[in-house]
Amino acid sequence: MNEINYLLAAMLVMTVATYITRLTPFLLFSKGQESSLFNYISKSTPPMVMTILVIYMLKDVEYLTFEIVYTFIALLVTTGLHIYKRNALLSIVSGTIVYMIFVQT
Amino acid sequence: MIRSALTISLPILFGFVPLGIAFGLLFQELGYPWYFASLMAVFVYAGAAQFMAIGLLSSGIGLLEIAISTFFLNSRHMFYGLAFLQSFGNWNLRKLYLIFGLTDETYALMTTIKVPKNFTKERYYFFITLFAQLYWVLGCTIGALAANALSFNTSGMEFAATALFVVLLIEQWVKVKRLLPFVIAFIASAIALLFFIKHMLLVAIILSIASIVLFRLFKIQPNE
Repeated sequence: MNEINYLLAAMLVMTVATYITRLTPFLLFSKGQESSLFNYISKSTPPMVMTILVIYMLKDVEYLTFEIVYTFIALLVTTGLHIYKRNALLSIVSGTIVYMIFVQT
Repeated sequence: MIRSALTISLPILFGFVPLGIAFGLLFQELGYPWYFASLMAVFVYAGAAQFMAIGLLSSGIGLLEIAISTFFLNSRHMFYGLAFLQSFGNWNLRKLYLIFGLTDETYALMTTIKVPKNFTKERYYFFITLFAQLYWVLGCTIGALAANALSFNTSGMEFAATALFVVLLIEQWVKVKRLLPFVIAFIASAIALLFFIKHMLLVAIILSIASIVLFRLFKIQPNE
């Protein structure tokens, strides 16, 4: 297999594998059959996933280094601004700029 | 509707473009023409899996291994669809695309926002999903094209993704106002980090869902 064919085949395989993971729940559960337990699960999942994603993003921060300090400051900026202004864009951009300043200096 | 969807999807722009640029830059080290980075973003459209693929491709690993690792890396997405069984509408091309575009970021955004009353949910979601993928394709393409010519220092920009999830976490808190899911997810994450750090995301999600089901089945209702 030459290089380009290998890449194309890999992309095809990855596309299918990814799509299967996203499609599965729609094939397993039809619209009519939801129980109250099922609704409860699908309502509780977003807050849980969000908590997990935040922890996942922060898991590689090295503790006992300066990194944890500026990561905390950037998080504080994002959180504080968001509670104060409720403007997602503003909170994200400000926190990121603060973080970038620390990383790059 | 398009303008509203564009505005509300902008936080994803700030997460996807820098991350896409990072992907494009790394991808170029494999030595393929730049447009393959764009094609990856169009067809595969999975951030973590694309990054993983760079490593796998450079080692020339077999297709079956690529398929299996992609599947397991993305298997957390199996839980994402649960939130949209109804709101993605009837089976048609749009629904197939909405499912295709269900990433961490679109899931997070679409489960958090309220669709304005005068808009059809599935159409609104469609534009959000479409814009999000455009940002990703844009980022990957810029990164691949600029691999040699990039003069802007993007290091630290990856924090935008963290900030996006933090913002959405706060919004979830405002929306849900029950402590239980957050506490369960926190404990599950800690356990997953301690014992299954390689598959932290998936393990934490499965543990969380299993625990919340147990709480429900045994009607444990902590004072909240």
